[in-house]
This record gives sequence, C-alpha cells and structure tokens, in this order.
Amino acid sequence: MPKRLASSLSDEVLEHVFSFIQSEKDRNVVSAVCKSWYEIERWCRRKIFVGNCYAVSPEMVIRRFPQVRSIELKGKPHFADFNLVPDGWGGYVLPWITEMAGAYPWLDEIRLKRMVVTDESLELIAKSFKDFKVLVLASCEGFSTDGLAAIAASCKNLRELDLRESEVDDSSVHWLSHFPETYTSMVSLNISCLGSGEVSFSALERLVSRCPNLRSLKLNRAVPLDKTANILRLAPQLVEFSACTYSAELRSDVFSNLAGAFSNCKELRSLSGFWDVVPDYLPAIYSVCSRLTSLNLSYATILSPDLIKLVSHCPSLQRLLVLDYIEDSGLEALASNCKDLQELRVFPSDPFDAEPNASLTEQGLVAVSLGCPKLQSVLYFCRRMSNAALVTIAQNRPNLNRFRLCIIEPNTADYLTGEPFDVGFGAIVEHCKDLIRLSLSGLLTDCVFEYIGKYAKKLEMLSVAFAGDSDLGLHHVLSGCESLRKLEIRDCPFGDKALLTNAAKLETMQSLWMSSCSVSFEACKLLSQKMPRLNVEVIDERGPPDSRPENCTVDKLYIYRSVAGPRFDMPPFVWTKDEDLALRLSP
Amino acid sequence: MELQLGLALPPPPLIPIETFDLNSYGNYETREALGTNALSWPLLKLGPADNDINNIHHHNSSSSSSSSGGGAGCKKRSFDEAPFFDEKRNVPKTLHLLLWTNQPNDEDDDPSNVLHENSSSAIFKNDGEGLVGWPPVKTWRKKVHHQIPNGGAENNRLPAVENGIGGRASKSTYVKVKMEGVPIARKIDLSVHHSFEGLTNTLMRMFGISDGNRKSFKLTYQDREGDWLLAEDVPWRTFIRSLKCLKLIRSRG
Repeated sequence: MPKRLASSLSDEVLEHVFSFIQSEKDRNVVSAVCKSWYEIERWCRRKIFVGNCYAVSPEMVIRRFPQVRSIELKGKPHFADFNLVPDGWGGYVLPWITEMAGAYPWLDEIRLKRMVVTDESLELIAKSFKDFKVLVLASCEGFSTDGLAAIAASCKNLRELDLRESEVDDSSVHWLSHFPETYTSMVSLNISCLGSGEVSFSALERLVSRCPNLRSLKLNRAVPLDKTANILRLAPQLVEFSACTYSAELRSDVFSNLAGAFSNCKELRSLSGFWDVVPDYLPAIYSVCSRLTSLNLSYATILSPDLIKLVSHCPSLQRLLVLDYIEDSGLEALASNCKDLQELRVFPSDPFDAEPNASLTEQGLVAVSLGCPKLQSVLYFCRRMSNAALVTIAQNRPNLNRFRLCIIEPNTADYLTGEPFDVGFGAIVEHCKDLIRLSLSGLLTDCVFEYIGKYAKKLEMLSVAFAGDSDLGLHHVLSGCESLRKLEIRDCPFGDKALLTNAAKLETMQSLWMSSCSVSFEACKLLSQKMPRLNVEVIDERGPPDSRPENCTVDKLYIYRSVAGPRFDMPPFVWTKDEDLALRLSP
Repeated sequence: MELQLGLALPPPPLIPIETFDLNSYGNYETREALGTNALSWPLLKLGPADNDINNIHHHNSSSSSSSSGGGAGCKKRSFDEAPFFDEKRNVPKTLHLLLWTNQPNDEDDDPSNVLHENSSSAIFKNDGEGLVGWPPVKTWRKKVHHQIPNGGAENNRLPAVENGIGGRASKSTYVKVKMEGVPIARKIDLSVHHSFEGLTNTLMRMFGISDGNRKSFKLTYQDREGDWLLAEDVPWRTFIRSLKCLKLIRSRG
C-alpha cells in the first residue's frame, strides 16, 4: 500500500506535503525512502544545517540541494571556546560564501558559529544576496565594523543581525549610520559584544525609532543609563532587551526615568546585560518581572540578598543565568518562587581563586532540582559536590536532558565520603533517560564510563576532563553510547587501544576531540589509513609529531567524519598522514 | 610533560601521612600494574581529609585542593583510611598535580621540585595561569570578572566608558574583603565606590549586618607594605591608592 501511494501522488503534492516537514532529521529520513522522494525532497529543501563545515564541501551541498534559502554552519570544535584550539586552525567561511554567491541568489539566512568571517565575506554577502534577511555570527571572529557597514548599507530587508559573543575589530567606521534612512526592517539586533567605540548612540536611537517591528535588542556594555531609558521609550514593543551599564550611585531622576521606561514595555519577556549594575537600580525593572521568562544576570556582581529579592518578583521565570553570588540561599529562594524553571546556569564569579568567594555548594543545585519540577537543563560550577546530592538530583529530576557539572578543582572527590563520583553520575545517566548532553568533572574512575556506556543511550554530547584510569573508560563510552555524536576529552589517560578498537564507531559520530591524553602519532596514522572517511588531525605546535620519540603522545587530536576528504586550508601545526600536503594553501 | 618520577625513585617505607610524602604515594602506585598504556608518570588520586568546613577552608587556603596531597592543615591519615588504596584497584590513577606548569619540565625529574609544585592546587598556581582552558569558562566571561589590579591582563574588550557617569576608571578594581569569623572571603569592586559611606553600606549589606550592629564593626585594610590600618584614619584617596585588601573586625570596647 505505501509503495502504490508513493507513485500515485504527483510531485507537486509530495512537495507540498514535504513543505510541512521542517526538521532536518525528518527531511533526511524522507529523502531515504526511495529515489523519487529523494529527488523531490532535494529540490525543495530550503534549510541546511552543517554541524562541521569540513564534513562536506560547499560544492557537494550545492549539487545536492540546488534551492537552499537558509544555511547554518559550524566551524571550530567546542573546546575552541576555552582556548584549546590554536589561532589559525581553520573554520573559514569565505569558500562557502563564494560558492553560494553564485549558486543561491535567493539565500536569505546565514547562521555561523565559531567560524572565521572576514570583511571580504561580509561584503560578498552584502553584494550577492538581494533579499538577505538574517545574519547570525555566534562566537565568530576575523571581521571588523567595515564588514558590518557593508551589510548595513546593502541589505535593505535585513531583519536580524546577531553578533553574539563574536570578536569584532573596531575600524572606527560608524557602521550603524550606514543603515539608510529608508531602512525600517530590523526585528532583532544583538551587538552586545561590541566595544564602546563601535556604536554611535544617535545612530542607534534613530535606527530604533524607525523600526517598528523591533522585538529583540541587545546593546553593548557602554550605553549609559539615561540612554537606556531613552531607547526603551522608543521601543516599548520589545520582547527581549539587554540592559546596559548602570551608574555608580543612585540618582532618583535617572531611576524614575528608567522605571517609567520599563513599565511601558508590556511585551518584555527576556532581560540580560546588567553589567556593573548597582542593586539600588534593580527595582526599576520590577514592573516587568512578573512576566519575565528569561533572565541573564551572569555579568552582574550583585549579591545574594539582592538576587533573592529580584527572583522573588519573577514567578514566571523559565531560564536563569547567574553567578555563584546567588549562593545556596538564593537558589533555595529560586526553587520556592520559580516553579516554571526549565534552565539554570550558575557561573563562577572568580574561577581562578583558590578560595570560594560565595557560599555556593551542591545544596543549591539540590534545592532547585527538588523544587523545580520542569527543570531540564543545568550548567553548574561549584567547588564541592557529593554522590548523595547527585543521586538525589537524579532521582527527583529524571526529566533532565542537559546536565553539565563543573567542580572547579580537577579530581575533587565527594566531600562527604572521599570517593569518586562514579556512583553519582551513574545515577544521573540511569535515571535521566532522555539525557542528550553531559559534562563530567571531579574525581572519576573507569566505572563512571561503564555506567555511561550502559545507560546513556540517548546521549549525543559528552565532555570529559581529568577522569578515568585507562583505555577501558574510553572503550565503554565508544562501545556503549549509541547516539553519541560529539565526544570531547582533555587530560585523561585514554590511549591508542580504545581508539583503534572502536575505529568504526568514529564514523558514526560527528567528531572526537582529545587533548593531553595518551594517543600516539602512530595510532593516528593507522586510523587515518584504515578509515578514509575520517579526517584525523593532529594539532601540535611543538613540531612534526614523527620527529619525536616513539612513545611521545600527541598534544591534541581532532577526528571527524567527512565526505569532503582532507582539507586544503590546514595551518602548519596541523599534521595528517599525508606527507605530500606540501601543497597546503594557507588562508 | 611526561615525568619519569615514579620509575626513578627508590621506594621509601610507607609512613602515616602527616606531611603527605608524594614520593611514597607515587611508588606505592607504581608497584601496581601500570597497565598497557605505559604512561610514564605515577598515577594517583587523593581525596579530602575531612568534611569539616573550617578544615576545608584551611585546606584550601594552604592552597591545596581537596585532591592534592600537601598542607599541614590536613588531618592525619594512615594508609588504612585512604579509600583509594584498595587491592582491587590495580589500574593507574591520575595525579594531576605533577603536570601542570607551563614551563617545559620534560627533563626535570627532581622530586623535590615536583613536591614543591604540588603544594598548590592545579589551577590556582601562577596567578591562574596554570591550566589552559580550565575551568571551562569562555574567554569573554573571564575578562568580565577576572580583573585584578596587579595581574589582570589589559584587553581591548573592556569599554573605555567615555560617557561614564562619575568618571570611573575603565578597569574595575576588585579587592578581597573578609569579615572576622566568616570563612568565606568576598570580593568588592572599589571603582564603583567614592566614599567610606558608600563602601561601608555595601559591606554591611554584603555581610548581612543590620544598621543596629554597624557600630560594632570597624573597617581595617592592609596596605602595600603589609601593615593593617584603620580605614577611617586616612582620607579616601590615600585609602584607595594604598589598599590591598579589607577586613571587617569587631570593635572592642
């Protein structure tokens, strides 16, 4: 019956049906049903997501999907966020833009993460895509305000410009002024990463006042308080807003102006920023607090008593990012006030200080886990933990799908029993059956990996540091975790054996990162030879890996599957098996 | 980064742990099978001596982590108590402390050198320069908070705040504040304060001291020469320029 159905429906009908299928995974499944569905689907696929820009080449994407409108690309591995990937490693977007400029004239959305974007790329985007609408550059680098000026000047229908966490060079161009006076389409603008010299307030105010559809505005740190109030009054329809620098002393005129401006914003649901905020100004936002669903206070050095007061005004909160200044007492208040909480991230205010400067322990996390029934996503930095706490959390919150715990000092044991956290994390993976992301920390033996391999069947991303005893640990993970896509490991005693035994597994994964582990260059070369669809990159700035003694281990290893073959833009410190890569072209 | 330490040293007799002798620990481990990894450093994991908060604090302030060996503040433990030396575990464990310096000490097998380095926790040595990328906090987040007057790296991500209200300095100045009797030290940003009044208000709030109790505390500070002085004895400007850290003490009489 399905066979007849497939051939009896016309292409147009199928295409129409497919247009309701948005998820990439579903689309991939659809295209695998039969040849005709593959053909129809590939012509009507509009959105592409490439999790690793080196897994496929732009030409291949274009050949298969000729009518794409929206593309998302990711470049460097996640550990690049923590300075583990040397500059110049790669992730250049220009080759993609160049190819797409010719093939996709109707491309209107480009989303990039951890890629190197140049002004040339931005200028090419501005020139090539007539109806360009969305540009998101997350954690990108390599471009300046010149590139932004080109985008501003040419993209008449730009709706979204989001530079979250990118590094932008200041070329002293007043790029905001390059938006023509006729431009009114902005819906979402995030320039929170820009330095003070890079934004002109008057241009910003004029832009905001002529864009009636503006919903999300995230300004940078240097916008002073009185300007903040002005901008809010120009855009009372905002749903998301990132507040700016707060002044040192409370001035009642500034306060009431700000409070008034906020009270006009009936649609406001998300607030962030709060750099240098002085607690006395916080009540200015109380009028919007009851409707807030997302609050990012992770730059704010406000302490627990003021945080408790603030949080108690926000019963609808679903997402909270905060520093450890909130302390256990603040998290207890959160647990009793915010029953809709789904995501909690607690960052360390002073990650490098040996002494804890806030009374934040495992108790806070336990309180939130017990009190917030919808809690799904946790990122928690702390200095002490116990297995008992982890077990409690696991048993009470089996609906957790992201659990990232960072016990700041490597190899810290359970403070109550002195034992490793194998049992605690074991409970997490056993009870939280939908866990897709996990980060481990603290003292851990191979046992925890046995639990993970056994229970974490839906786990897609695992981060490991300073853990394990032997190759057995890595073997458990590679052989047991069926859904694993990304594995990143640092400073663990995992070596050749586990890697070579599970070579086939690596092709089912997106990528594997291993740094400061015990893998030899010989093993890397062997893996590379036996697995042609894996790119095995040894990142080592100390010199050619095979010029060192036999038992010397590689510094960093990045393995990813690819149908594009070896890349041609490797810097000198990336070593692969191909000695004849003397034809390496530097970017 | 490899150390031949464990293999090079002769095994001394096992002694009860007053001062943790890592040499003996290391060799205890190397007597067990190192496994096929043939890692050339001795592998060891240690846990905290006890869970008393004061001891933990002291433990930390003697700059050893819960998993380090060092420090005279640790409770005495014999090998029997140590939870890690059970016979079933004949696989190597990781001793992180021996490895984490940025200096290439590949050839440096000197045990006394290693022990000296082990006296501080892994990530907290060299003013936080020890481990790359740990704790896993994004670079721009570090720049927001980790701004110490003497060591903080100048970076172009900090705004110059030309329009800044009150003409604040562009680089925030955080100093440590302790209160007598409270184990946890705080940090306070001096650049947002311009008077003793404002500073005291913040401190009172920070430590939860009510207005009524204010009078029973005095603010003292340690200057660059290491002397402890009363804050109220000097003008604000002098205070700001010379202070290194603060302490609230209970005033007697």
